[in-house]
Amino acid sequence: MLRTIVAGLRARTARLVLSSVAIALGVALVTGTLVLGDAIKASVADEFARDARNVDVAVDPNTSHSATERAGLTPAMLDTVRRVPGVAAADGRQSVAVPLVHAGGRAKPALGVAVASDPRLRPYDLVSGRDPERPDEVTVDQRTAAADHIPLGGQLTLLDRRNTPHRFTVVGTYQQGTSRSEAFLADQVVLLPSVLPTLGEGHGYEQIVAVAAPGVDQAQLAARVRSALGAAGVTVRTGAELTQQRLRSVAESAGSFSTFLLVFALVALVVAAMVIYNTFTILLAQRTREIALMRCVGASRPQVFRSVLAEAIAMGLAASGLGLLGGLGLSAALQRAVGALGGTATTVRLPLSGSTVIVGFAVGVLVTVLSAVVPALRATRVPPVTALRALPEGHDEVMRTSRKRIAFVLLLALAGSGLAALGLVAGRDTGMLLTGAGTVALLGAVVAAGPLIVGPINRLLGVIPGALFGVPARLASANATRNPRRTAATTAALMIGVTIVTMITVVANSGKQTVNAEIDKQFPADFTVTSAISDRALPASLVDDLRRTGELRLVAPEYRGYATLDRPGTAGATPGDTFSISGVGTDSLGELLRPTVVAGRLDRLGGDEIALRDTAAREAGLHVGDRVSVRVADLAEDERVDPGRGPATTLRVVAIYHGSGPLASALVDAAAYTRMQPNVAGFDRILVRLRDGVSAANGRDAVERATRAVPIAEIDSAAQTKEELNSEVNKVLALVWALIGLAVVIALFGIANTLTLSVIERTRESALLRALGLTRGQLRLMLLVESVLLGVAGAGLGMLLGSGFAWLLDRSLSTKDEVITFAVPFDQVGVMLLTAVVAAVLAAVLPARRAARTSVVAAMVDA
Amino acid sequence: MSVATPQAAVRTAVTAQDVVKVYGRGETAVRALAGISIGFAAGEFTAIMGPSGSGKSTLMHCLAGLDTVDAGTIHIGRTEITRLADRELTKLRRDRIGFVFQAFNLLPTLTAEQNILLGLELAGRRPHKAWFDQIIDVLGLRDRLRHKPSELSGGQQQRVACARALIAQPDVVFADEPTGNLDSRSGAEVLDFLRMSVKRLGQTVIMVTHDPVAAAYADRVVLLADGTLAGELRQPTRDSVLAALKHLGA
Ligand SMILES: Nc1ncnc2c1ncn2[C@@H]1O[C@H](COP(=O)(O)OP(=O)(O)OP(=O)(O)O)[C@@H](O)[C@H]1O
Ligand SMILES: [Mg+2]
Repeated sequence: MLRTIVAGLRARTARLVLSSVAIALGVALVTGTLVLGDAIKASVADEFARDARNVDVAVDPNTSHSATERAGLTPAMLDTVRRVPGVAAADGRQSVAVPLVHAGGRAKPALGVAVASDPRLRPYDLVSGRDPERPDEVTVDQRTAAADHIPLGGQLTLLDRRNTPHRFTVVGTYQQGTSRSEAFLADQVVLLPSVLPTLGEGHGYEQIVAVAAPGVDQAQLAARVRSALGAAGVTVRTGAELTQQRLRSVAESAGSFSTFLLVFALVALVVAAMVIYNTFTILLAQRTREIALMRCVGASRPQVFRSVLAEAIAMGLAASGLGLLGGLGLSAALQRAVGALGGTATTVRLPLSGSTVIVGFAVGVLVTVLSAVVPALRATRVPPVTALRALPEGHDEVMRTSRKRIAFVLLLALAGSGLAALGLVAGRDTGMLLTGAGTVALLGAVVAAGPLIVGPINRLLGVIPGALFGVPARLASANATRNPRRTAATTAALMIGVTIVTMITVVANSGKQTVNAEIDKQFPADFTVTSAISDRALPASLVDDLRRTGELRLVAPEYRGYATLDRPGTAGATPGDTFSISGVGTDSLGELLRPTVVAGRLDRLGGDEIALRDTAAREAGLHVGDRVSVRVADLAEDERVDPGRGPATTLRVVAIYHGSGPLASALVDAAAYTRMQPNVAGFDRILVRLRDGVSAANGRDAVERATRAVPIAEIDSAAQTKEELNSEVNKVLALVWALIGLAVVIALFGIANTLTLSVIERTRESALLRALGLTRGQLRLMLLVESVLLGVAGAGLGMLLGSGFAWLLDRSLSTKDEVITFAVPFDQVGVMLLTAVVAAVLAAVLPARRAARTSVVAAMVDA
Repeated sequence: MSVATPQAAVRTAVTAQDVVKVYGRGETAVRALAGISIGFAAGEFTAIMGPSGSGKSTLMHCLAGLDTVDAGTIHIGRTEITRLADRELTKLRRDRIGFVFQAFNLLPTLTAEQNILLGLELAGRRPHKAWFDQIIDVLGLRDRLRHKPSELSGGQQQRVACARALIAQPDVVFADEPTGNLDSRSGAEVLDFLRMSVKRLGQTVIMVTHDPVAAAYADRVVLLADGTLAGELRQPTRDSVLAALKHLGA
């Protein structure tokens, strides 16, 4: 038996290779994901290893103790720790947000970190130079140095708390791994601890770390530190515990990214499985006579079954090996890409763990074998007499099973529509889950219905090429429908990938459109000026400078903060929820801010009036005419909202408005705002409207000029906001397209595979056609059309389903107040369809060449 | 037309001159056709016979432009097909030649009618309605036109193939053992039709066969042996064919 299997594999290598590629790609995605996950884990672990390096005892604020959390760890505590016997050195780690002025004069937030008093406690590696030793020296992250082209000895400008620029000399650069800062892509600088408080708002030490003197045990020292500090508000841990806890949280965050990628790997595997299933079905159909002959000469059913499975296992093993290598490459490429995004050449790590290898092979072999089981079982049912009979032309047994199939399809479709319908009426979160489940069931129904519907679909689609190209195209259309199951499986593989891409694309696009429309409607300012540093307000003088600028018609400053809303009298007992609140000039209402008013009126706001967003009003249980007690939190002292502070003012609700995005949850008059919150440092946002006839470019120049003296000022326009938002969405979409793209590529291999096998099967037919006068070109055209029919059927169905599912999801995501407009990005969908056609043509190139090359006579004699 | 046929006045449909066909190279080379010269008159029914491996199929494939020759020339009418490139050969086959093979004559995806009209459609020609009806009626295919090949008997399939070969009124019809897979009654139906098409419609038919009974339907029998012409019979009967074959040692 083994000899027959080996001989069989050898004879069919070429035919198996294509389907192996499908499996290999699926396995590559799985192992690539696992390897990438491990790589991220390793690199982040390295980073945290730097953090925890040489640390024997670490003191953290106790998160359940709000007083220490707010105050941080104090210098007094650090002194206490330093005095503990057995502590060789101790440091307080702290960082503050520091505005760093970049080329062009604009400031961006950077993280200022205190230099370690002891080199052993440095949480980074020096790359060049040294640590800062004087107050005007700074060491910068090498990424920042590279991005801003600052050489050693060069100058760097930071703004102090009054936004006065200070120049520092760069004395060294250092490297952080995939650190917190790199994850947020913020710049980082290291300074003397004494400088930090002059630059930014500090919150005490985030952590106190200590090195033990030689011969002192970590646990012992930790116990001493704990008793020295007293129990209040701190957690004392040994260095080993710290490392462990850090690694655990790292594993979790890396894990969630891997899960995200694995979902796509799963889709790719499902598609690959369909391709494999199809391949084995076709191969075995072609070998029916051979199998029957084997049964004639005495092979038992189990022997036939085993021989097919053995073939699948061999193929699975080979493909998984290939896939494993591909996975390493994929992971390396992804890391390069991420490194390129971050602006540094990150070291590519390829940790290949035993479990990755095992999972890769297990998945590859399992998927292959499972996909081959059904065809193998079918093969065992071939009766020996078939060897002696003329075979009916590759006829599927669709008719026999169609009743069962129809019942199954109806059941799935019913369940799917039921779930989706439930999802539409249910709330947002459960609704989305239900609708999601419904779409999966509906997709399953369409896949199951495949063999019944591919015929009509292909005949319908075939009309156009039939009219264009005549006989060859009509033959192609007939060929595409002759084996409904085969066609269905080939089409379905493509359909699944395209459905998912389309669905995600359309949902993302709908969201994008909805928010864009919202921005346009509520926010008709030409430019907005905001502060680049979240806790620093724009100076009031900036408003005057802008007002003096001739190109601007309207300059509307706005305060932003957080407030609690309570019914009068109940305040203090249970502090209400906090909402975002804006203090706006009355002249900007209707002109620069245009919320859709749902109830009441909002042409102007009096000093004792407030307008609420519908969601906020509902949450706080307030209506037009109600009185509400408002406390604006003091953000200048503390970033955390503390509802206990700030004076309460009673206001009257005059309007309820609707909207999302840039609008705050509550609007009050600017004067009312400053009354409620007297110690505002300046404005948080300034809306600007250009004079009629001033071009956007000129307007921008004017605003640039007026804001030159304020480096923290950041200029945005609605167009720019939209553009940024859109490019964010497009970036995510690009990642999704790339990931799902692999599944689509696998499906296209499936088309190429099916075509190749069909060409082999139809050698004689092709010869007959050639004898009857079909030219080589027409024969090629015939296969191209067949391929394009398969491709367009799959892609087209996928797009219809994907759009339909996206519509369902949009509906289930919409609430009464926030309706997501369903918007199909026809350009993107068009690109997809075009890609499908081109790819289908490419998929047909090799099979078509093969078919056209075969000599007529040889084919007539052979078959 | 240097090859003289016994009836020199008759126009020749197909002529082969010193045709050589060699399969393989060196040691294993087989001279399937060893310099054959032969002509086929228009409006005549010719049967090619000979022992297995004598080169009958090879000769027919070469004459029909399905295969290339290594030496010599072949004319169909006035066209020297041995000089034509694949594209022109394809067009020639489409427009001027009809085929009936031993098996696998029909496309399984098309109905009988579509199969019959396939060649015409490839040539972009419309069928002649009266001619189509005549052929269909003579072959008794009227109520089978909508059937797929898998729903037809072997004899019916061969009759459909004959209809397809004749519908375009080609210069010549080649048939390679058209009755090889049929029982004697179905075979007789097919042969009767081929003979009728020659007699009544002036068609030219060249048929390869092993069966002396089938050969007896022809006007002329050409005998091949080892890739060369080994004799011929006019107005053959089953017995005269048998005798000639015996003489060849087949
Ligand atoms: N493709 C090929 N390659 C090599 N040799 C070939 C090929 N085709 C035919 N031959 C050889 O050429 C010779 C003539 O073959 P051909 O098929 O023409 O014989 P035939 O008279 O049709 O025989 P049969 O009556 O069995 O059909 C044979 O010896 C055969 O082995
Ligand atoms: Mg032969």
